[in-house]
Amino acid sequence: MALLTKAETPPPPPRRRRLVYRLRVLRHDPTAALGLILVALLAYLVVAPLVAVVSDAFRLQYGDQVHAGQQPGEWTGYYLWRVFRSQISGLLFWEPLLNTLVVAVGTVVFAVVVGGGMAWLVTRTNVPGRKWLAGALVVPYMLPSWTFSLAWLSLFKNERAGGQVGFLQAMGIRTPDSLAYGAVPIIITLGLHYYPFVLLLVGNALRRIDAQLEDSARILGAPQRTVIRRIVAPLMLPALSSAVLLVIGRVLGTFGTPYVLGLPADFRVLSTGLYQSIRDRSTGVASVLATVIVIIGILIVFTDSRLMREHRRFVTVGGKGAMDRLGDLRRWRWPAFALGLLVFVLSVLVPVLTLLLSTVTRTPLDLSTFTLDFWLAERLPGAVGFPHGVFRGSELWTAAWNSLRIVGLASLICALCGLLIGYVVVRGSAPRIAGFLRQVSFLPYLIPGIAFAAASLSLFAVARGPVPALYGTTFLLILVMAVTHLPYSSRSGIAAMMQLGREPEEAAQIAGASWWQRMRRIIFPIQKGALVTGIVLPFISGLKELSIVIMLTTTGTELLTTLSIGLVDYGYTQLANAVVLVIALVSFTMTYLTQRLTKSSLASGLGG
Amino acid sequence: MPNITLSGVAKSYGGGDYAVKNLDLTVPDGAFMCLLGPSGCGKTTTLRMIAGLEQPSAGTIAVGDRILDSVERGLYVPPEKRDMGLVFQNYALWPHLSVRENVEFGLRMRKVPAPERRARAAAALKMVHVDAAMERYPSQLSGGQQQRVALARMLAINPTVLLLDEPLSNLDARLRLEMRAELKRIHDESGATIVFVTHDQLEALTMATDIAVMNEGELQQLAAPMELYARPANRFVAEFVGSPPMAIVDVGAAPTGLAGSLLRFVESRAAGCAPAGIGIRPEALRLDPPPDAAWSEEALVEAVLPAGSSWTVRLRILDAELYALSYTPVEAEPGDTLTCWTDQMHLFGEGGDRISSWDRTKVGA
Repeated sequence: MALLTKAETPPPPPRRRRLVYRLRVLRHDPTAALGLILVALLAYLVVAPLVAVVSDAFRLQYGDQVHAGQQPGEWTGYYLWRVFRSQISGLLFWEPLLNTLVVAVGTVVFAVVVGGGMAWLVTRTNVPGRKWLAGALVVPYMLPSWTFSLAWLSLFKNERAGGQVGFLQAMGIRTPDSLAYGAVPIIITLGLHYYPFVLLLVGNALRRIDAQLEDSARILGAPQRTVIRRIVAPLMLPALSSAVLLVIGRVLGTFGTPYVLGLPADFRVLSTGLYQSIRDRSTGVASVLATVIVIIGILIVFTDSRLMREHRRFVTVGGKGAMDRLGDLRRWRWPAFALGLLVFVLSVLVPVLTLLLSTVTRTPLDLSTFTLDFWLAERLPGAVGFPHGVFRGSELWTAAWNSLRIVGLASLICALCGLLIGYVVVRGSAPRIAGFLRQVSFLPYLIPGIAFAAASLSLFAVARGPVPALYGTTFLLILVMAVTHLPYSSRSGIAAMMQLGREPEEAAQIAGASWWQRMRRIIFPIQKGALVTGIVLPFISGLKELSIVIMLTTTGTELLTTLSIGLVDYGYTQLANAVVLVIALVSFTMTYLTQRLTKSSLASGLGG
Repeated sequence: MPNITLSGVAKSYGGGDYAVKNLDLTVPDGAFMCLLGPSGCGKTTTLRMIAGLEQPSAGTIAVGDRILDSVERGLYVPPEKRDMGLVFQNYALWPHLSVRENVEFGLRMRKVPAPERRARAAAALKMVHVDAAMERYPSQLSGGQQQRVALARMLAINPTVLLLDEPLSNLDARLRLEMRAELKRIHDESGATIVFVTHDQLEALTMATDIAVMNEGELQQLAAPMELYARPANRFVAEFVGSPPMAIVDVGAAPTGLAGSLLRFVESRAAGCAPAGIGIRPEALRLDPPPDAAWSEEALVEAVLPAGSSWTVRLRILDAELYALSYTPVEAEPGDTLTCWTDQMHLFGEGGDRISSWDRTKVGA
């Protein structure tokens, strides 16, 4: 038996030797190389556009030499001055900012009152048809957000903007501008789209409250009202504040609704202002606006995560002891059901039926003028830009094919990247690379879509180095769409890989499988399910996407969403409505099928 | 078949903390070597370094003449080329492949033709007695069966070295007992060199031919199981191996109480011997009538804990509390006074290393 002397920490081998050894190891392990490639990719596609847009905000653009008295490319505060302090700054920035705030606050109040109330109704009461209501009330979220604004126009549009007037006007009831356009309709239509968001988040939180927490309070002598005030409400706060901030963030970046309902009355918000600046080719101003939106977006998400951290200290909401006891509404049961039904009717049936009827009647909603011309006619008299029914001609089919192909490819790339990011993060041979990937892939989440599109335009609109100008190419659309959906797929990719752990791959490695064989035979087959969800969720949300693509599409790369907005611009209300109905149908069907087939809940893909 | 040698192997995760410090270890060909130690002692890291899943910061790992890792010479063989088997603690079976496909995987990677592949997979599964579940999927198997499939998956490739990472820790007590015997049998049948990691000393003592005890990244002792038990190299090994653990009484400058009593006895036997600690294993602390030559002292019974085949007694002897383990019934109540004695002591020096044992039957060591 040998007695061992205590081992001392050995002197590390010389640096150069260690390097040789490390390189030898790296040659056999492509994870590191893959990590570096992903880092480069994300740096180029996520970080670089943001840098470009911020730098555009501070550099003089061509064409502004005379006004600013500087040479193009020089550093300048001219655009800051123009946006914040000049005579037109009110028009460019302050008024849109104020309008944005009004819309955001209004939408949040609307969504919280309706969504919160409905959440309570379907999770904590014995309202008849709870299950059905819970499902039905989420449907508005599956429709493109500006579906509601088109329906609104079909009902309330007056002669101000030209084109076909709305139902009420046609009946001889004058609709004032304030009801047809501007803050009120925008708030209502956005509220109708976003209340399911609150419903899902708050409903989930309500459902997960441990019944024992309430029971304990009640046993200690607290009356029902006190239990709600002191136990339930504080536990709801995190979910509620999250929902509120996320809705604000969404409203900030939303384009379709304020464009359709705001512009005819010169009601500008930041997103439409940004769009117009870009259309007017005032790149500098657009860059400043985009930067402001980015900063507000980041602030919102930081506030959210800060609040979440504060709350997490006392959140003891566990999976156990779910609420199974429901408050008895007694004689209010049926009135409560009627209320829920009313919300469903107003947020789903009315808009969808309005759109549908508007496409099959010549005079809005007057069934005596029934016609299928807007869908099927070879020739539509009077319509110049789009002289036939939507199913005739090539426009709809081209746009549908474009949507399918562009969104499909983007989703595929997105899901693959997400899974690979998850793989690199979990393999974790280089913590710094993993950290970078984790954070940067999440960055687009902080940035309202329209601002990110503007940023991408800054970087890719002109040729830079070996990269040619990509404006107007399908490629750019795919890239931007993939990047904006990356946060969700990288998160689910990381989660899926974490759950799998590294052992299955290591076991394959020990068994003699090369890296490529491990990927092909072990990792991807096991992650098949995660990959499919990772493709489908971005696909559905990408199909409805307008804010991101509106600035990037050109005549050759028209998508369904931009086609519809284009028809709105022409004043062909019925045709635009028909296209939106097509989108809504596809997106609703796919969401429904996915939920059925993968049993994934919409809440997990909420971001999309 | 060759030995596995680790020389000067260290592993640091940066920041000056070493998971493994300067480890020299030789696993003889055909051995059933156990790396034993508390959690965080570096035993799993050592195993993963042998497998190639982690890379040492310094040192050399070789099997026979084939160098697998040498930081100093810049040599590295990736895990997939090492021809080793590794059974993971949680088995890591591939959920999308059937049992047969799991077991055939390694052979497929080695481009073994299909008929031979089938035969070898069937043989490996037969060896671990799960050949009946061939076409099932891992999720349809019990924990014990999954464990066996994980083993078969590695046995199928006839590895010269088989590594096991806490292979039995996820099994229930009955299965564990069964698998211990199975592993021993598989070791005999396959002739492979097996290295396995555990924190369970009973597992180590019952199965291994050699045990390497590790603590805080350092090798404490390398010995055969009974050798390890009879002659622990230092206080750590003495206290870690054995249940209940060996009681070690610290001998200060002017020892009183139990320490004083034991020291006087030791000095009367071996003049000039100055231990810093004196250890007594529970089963060496006897309660039957003492022989003349042994150390003995009055003891107060504090508790009697019968366990079927043995009795553990907590005793207060002078100023100290000790456990005695008896294999004959102890007819005593708390509060009784007994005479306890011992003829086996372990003497530890200043640094904690064992300097000698005193044994009535075998004097010195």
